[in-house]
Amino acid sequence: MAAEPRKRKGANQSRSPLQQQAESYLVHHRKVARDSAERLWRTPIASMMTWAVMGVALALPVALLLLLTSLQGVSAGWESSARITAYLKESVTLESANALRAEAEADSRVLEVELIDKQQALAEFRSSSGLEDALDYLEGNPLPHTLLVTPDEASRTPGGVEALVMRLEGMTGVDRVQVDLGWLQRLNAMTDLLARAVWALALLLAAAVVLVIGNTVRLAIENRRDEILVAKMVGGTDAFVRRPFLYTGAWFGLGGGVVAWLLLQISLWWLSGPVERLAGLYRSDFSLNGLTFDGALALLIVAMLLGWLGAWVAVKRHLDAIEPGEIAGG
Amino acid sequence: MIEFRQVTKRYDSDHTALRQVNFSLARGEMAFLTGHSGAGKSTLLKLIMVMERPSAGEVVVGGQVLNTLPRRQIPYIRRHIGVVFQNHQLLFDRTVFDNVAMPLEVMGVPTRDIGRRVRAALDKVGLLSKEKMNPLQLSGGEQQRVGIARAVVNKPPVLLADEPTGNLDPELSADIMHLFSQFSQVGVTVLIASHDIALINDMQRRTLTLDHGQLIAGGGHGR
Repeated sequence: MAAEPRKRKGANQSRSPLQQQAESYLVHHRKVARDSAERLWRTPIASMMTWAVMGVALALPVALLLLLTSLQGVSAGWESSARITAYLKESVTLESANALRAEAEADSRVLEVELIDKQQALAEFRSSSGLEDALDYLEGNPLPHTLLVTPDEASRTPGGVEALVMRLEGMTGVDRVQVDLGWLQRLNAMTDLLARAVWALALLLAAAVVLVIGNTVRLAIENRRDEILVAKMVGGTDAFVRRPFLYTGAWFGLGGGVVAWLLLQISLWWLSGPVERLAGLYRSDFSLNGLTFDGALALLIVAMLLGWLGAWVAVKRHLDAIEPGEIAGG
Repeated sequence: MIEFRQVTKRYDSDHTALRQVNFSLARGEMAFLTGHSGAGKSTLLKLIMVMERPSAGEVVVGGQVLNTLPRRQIPYIRRHIGVVFQNHQLLFDRTVFDNVAMPLEVMGVPTRDIGRRVRAALDKVGLLSKEKMNPLQLSGGEQQRVGIARAVVNKPPVLLADEPTGNLDPELSADIMHLFSQFSQVGVTVLIASHDIALINDMQRRTLTLDHGQLIAGGGHGR
């Protein structure tokens, strides 16, 4: 028992210089990271403002991306439930309609076929259209029997659906086949366009974030000019001198990321009620998706990287220019 | 330890700060550098610090020719050279201790060694009791001694001083000079730029005299 601490001490002394160097390097990193974070805390208003600017600039494209994925979720949901409607000819009797249903269902590409007969269709139409009285004036039932064909999963591609439509059109007794995917294609085209616009916006705003951080870090460099001169004079490497500013940039980024996340959560909460109502009116299960844990983490990491990059630009432009030659005077 | 071989430094086209300067300082030697203002004292010190590069000739410090030294290597040379300035260049946003610790932090010295070595340096200049104070609370002479502690904390083989007693009264100046001679006794090469002739004469040391960029006295090699 007593030998234990002595042994540890012995190991301590025999540590290689390389190990010691690595250790003090890490210690220094920790110290610099803490020190630059504390500096931001010491000027809370200024830091807050930078964070807010970053937060807004980051929240905007992320919000649009979220909207986009939500929209894509809608179209994907409908695409998977794409159904083909085959209207039968008026002359087709209920028995033949049943036979056609069986024939269609026998196809391996078909998952399920539902037959909606004339009476059922009329009843449904009556209840949903609000034209009850007008329908009473009709002599017969103008609606045909209808087959609702659900393709199996493998055939839910544009090509697969197309082939199935051809097959159904070829069946005797089928009048017209309809796949209502036109609006879905339009929505897809619109989301594609929106996606490009969002990425372009994201790129521009990321550049803005880098510039904002770059400018803020430039001011920090000016404020700590004396310290930089002394550090360079006593033999600080460029990496040593840059380090605190790169950390400052990363912390600005992290703060901006947190603000962006907060803004997103707040606007999501604020919008969720109206969105639900709207989706309800469209009988859609559409909902605005918030950031997942992974998404939030990615947002913070990207924000930190942007902050770091901004700091790096400033450091490259302004720090390397500070040379201790100016201390000594003429 | 320090050697200048036919060193010329020309700024712009017509301003020549140093002309064919030739001298060398041995290990543990203490020398003064004097001359009218603008004679090239600061330029000479800057060449040793690699803040400037010579236009012609060679500057050698510790056996290393500095002319061709890559930029990346400059910090490592500076770690072997302690510098004291007239305006001492202390940082007022941190304590005396943290000021003196800077060269050690830059070198990546382990934290537990930093405390010991900083206190040894502060003890040497007689300021051990003031390590927690801000340099602003100290007198001019004390501030200068903090600057000296910072210059010697990592035990550099070369110590340069640019007008280290410029703002001090004669008694304090003598104290500071006494400190410098102590360092030279333990093997540090000390070069002090000063135009305080009375003080230089008191010290009875080798004196390099510059006049319009030319070394007119004290050149040559060794003691």
